[in-house]
Amino acid sequence: MSTLADRDVALVDLIDRLLGGGVVIAGDITLAAADVDLVYVGLRALVTSVATAEEKGLLGPLQKTALERSAL
Amino acid sequence: VIEVYAITKAPGPRAPGLHTIENGGLAAVCSSASEQEISADELWRRQEVLDALMRDCDLLPVRYGSTLDDDGAAERLLEERRDELTEALDRVRGAVELAVRVAGDGDGHGGAGDGAVYMRVKTRLLEMHKALSDLARESRELAPGRSAYLVSRADIVAFVARVAALEEANEDLSFLCTGPWPPYSFVTP
Repeated sequence: MSTLADRDVALVDLIDRLLGGGVVIAGDITLAAADVDLVYVGLRALVTSVATAEEKGLLGPLQKTALERSAL
Repeated sequence: VIEVYAITKAPGPRAPGLHTIENGGLAAVCSSASEQEISADELWRRQEVLDALMRDCDLLPVRYGSTLDDDGAAERLLEERRDELTEALDRVRGAVELAVRVAGDGDGHGGAGDGAVYMRVKTRLLEMHKALSDLARESRELAPGRSAYLVSRADIVAFVARVAALEEANEDLSFLCTGPWPPYSFVTP
């Protein structure tokens, strides 16, 4: 995760983990569903650089599915 | 209102902008809640804080956006869930999470799809998952072709080498391995 391109590609994993993993505590999750959509929109904005990764075959259908979720 | 970043064994790590609340041998690493709008940069900032913390100690990451009313609430949380959190910290001691995504070029397009091809890919995914699980303390399949592995720090290099070997042996599949992450996928038994 040292170079920018690596970070862009790793963002899918980061979002899955930060928003879907970790200890759930009995407090308020400040994040509303709409915010999550915004993150995916932000992710979509980064997809241009991910396109390079796709050319290299780094992204498969599964990641594309994750990216397509941003379009919802 | 405070935001909880991570749970560690007491004494918690010291880091700028963060304070720790201790109770019963555990520490909650907290900050005052930020009004930061969520964005990719904001998520990476959070991850960088956790990266720095996990260099020095074992931790359980807390789900992003988790807030509590005050320090007292954090103390009560540690008290009420001490057994569960202590057990989870013991499980992840000295280990990190590595994420592996494998995708076949054959699936995802081609209309209804070829069932036999799908099954073959699925079988190979299972075999690879097993080969990687052998080097991990625990593993979880999060979705088909998307797995998380709890790997001892000492085994990270061997694990990444095995991913590379699998990639070389399976040229028709694409691989993506990211990490080390804090053990996001291994906070529950």
